[in-house]
Amino acid sequence: MIELEQITKQYPGQAMPAVDKLFLSIPKGEICVLVGPSGCGKSTILRMINRMIEPTSGIVKINGEDVTRTDPDQLRMGIGYVIQQIGLLPHRTIAENIAIVPRLYKWPKEKIRKRVDELIVMMGLDLEKTRGKYPAQLSGGQMQRVGVARAMAVDPPIMLMDEPFGAVDPIARTHLQDELLRLQKEIKKTIVFVTHDINEAIKMGDRIAIFDAGKLVQFGTPEEILTNPINEFVEDFIGRDRVVKKLNLYLAEDAMQPIGCVVKGNELHNVAQKMKDAGAQVAFLLNDEGKACGQITVSDTEEFGRDIEGLRKRVLRREKAFVQTTTPFPDALSLLLEYDTDYLGILKGEELCGMLSFKGIRKHVYRKEGE
Amino acid sequence: MTLSDFTSFLMKNSKTIMEYSENHFTLVLLAVGISLAIWVPVGLLLTKSDKWAARVLALANTIFCIPSLSMFAILVTIPMFGLGRKSALLALVLYAMMPLIRSVYDGVKNVDRNVIEAARGMGMGTRRILIEILVPLGMPIIFAGFRITVVMTTGIAAIATYIGERNLGRFIQEGLIRSNTPMMVTGALIISVIAIGLDTILGLVEKRIVPKGLRISR
Repeated sequence: MIELEQITKQYPGQAMPAVDKLFLSIPKGEICVLVGPSGCGKSTILRMINRMIEPTSGIVKINGEDVTRTDPDQLRMGIGYVIQQIGLLPHRTIAENIAIVPRLYKWPKEKIRKRVDELIVMMGLDLEKTRGKYPAQLSGGQMQRVGVARAMAVDPPIMLMDEPFGAVDPIARTHLQDELLRLQKEIKKTIVFVTHDINEAIKMGDRIAIFDAGKLVQFGTPEEILTNPINEFVEDFIGRDRVVKKLNLYLAEDAMQPIGCVVKGNELHNVAQKMKDAGAQVAFLLNDEGKACGQITVSDTEEFGRDIEGLRKRVLRREKAFVQTTTPFPDALSLLLEYDTDYLGILKGEELCGMLSFKGIRKHVYRKEGE
Repeated sequence: MTLSDFTSFLMKNSKTIMEYSENHFTLVLLAVGISLAIWVPVGLLLTKSDKWAARVLALANTIFCIPSLSMFAILVTIPMFGLGRKSALLALVLYAMMPLIRSVYDGVKNVDRNVIEAARGMGMGTRRILIEILVPLGMPIIFAGFRITVVMTTGIAAIATYIGERNLGRFIQEGLIRSNTPMMVTGALIISVIAIGLDTILGLVEKRIVPKGLRISR
């Protein structure tokens, strides 16, 4: 756990302190995102944790111990550090770059070699092709992978990341974010992550701390912050599409409803009756193998009446109108709009296990909003 | 002058030529050695303080501007030095100040700040950063300054003949006085060969000493 107690940083010659009497406690094993407009002090805070910057006053504690009691080099060796500009040593190979901190710890050669190989593979890089290369031979995204691998080399419990994915292209950034989240599920590090991008903060953060002019404005889970922005600044910072952003926090299974009615291909002629009996607004069509392959709504049956073939065509056009239990709301909404329907079947693997309705999404978000 | 005049001069004076060449070479070697020992650490030290860097570099520039004949003349008048090797060495070391300090300072200052920041953030100490990062990464610029220093020293060393150094400059000096063309040509030619030779050797050394990763690109 990292605790900042009444931390102030006053740069000489500046009227306002860069960080002003900050209290912040960052729980173990979580990603805590520090976010805010540029100049809000977020990077300064991060850099005070590993003493790259010394606070003017106040105490930084890691696991209850004041960091100023430790030699700064020793302290930093035990904390992973990733910066936007990466800072790979251009005259060292990728393997040598990743080996820097293990070498500082004087690990035996064989142990270093094994760990380096493990990390290169873990970061999704080609082991044989990458080991001996120099940084100048890699793309920006690959370089930052190496940067993250280098920070994780001795498996430090804490990682500090200062806009780590800020300089890579959007596609690589999404990849890197997803991979870090996937990794984090296994490695459970305490990660302090600085960004100016609220979307990245919402995506990456277990907790988000929003800063303005050196002061902590709001600290909470993404859901708390999106649901109850504490003041106008936070509201503005999150943006007018606050609730739309919130959709990212939910998965299809969160608003899953039970299925009212399923029909087989040969039952299309009396689907209207079946739905009426079941009191369902929508029926899902199963093929001969029992797999879901379409949906029929009440309005479809009214529109086509006796025209079974027309109905079948309409139904099969929605062959892909299904989501997985883990699909986030925005993707589900996109499908709803794409197929111009109010319902989607929810699959677990290949099996139909429930349904998601437009109304259900609305209710779910509203309920959370109202809480 | 015919070619045979020249070759007969070489034959008759081979002993003197050897002696002068040796003297010349030793002077250059000593001067470069002392210069490296003094100016490289000074250059590294100056990277710590912009204020002092500006002052010292200004001083080095001023010294560098003094014409070499004037420099020798001034040093000879100082009782401690007088005519001879001491003054010659001091002059050469003073001339080497500018290119060496400048290149070391620029070389180290030009190292990507993010690399240093990352290294510091990983827990590398000041010494380690200097040895493992600043010097190797500054090497292309530092070495360029070193090559210039060596070539320049070889040239200026010839002028030290006026304050009593018995080196290849003497052939040129005396050749001029006596209108002895083969003598002049011998001096001029050997000095040039030494300068070009040293520079070529250093060029080869540079290829080995500049880290591979800096010469490579995607």
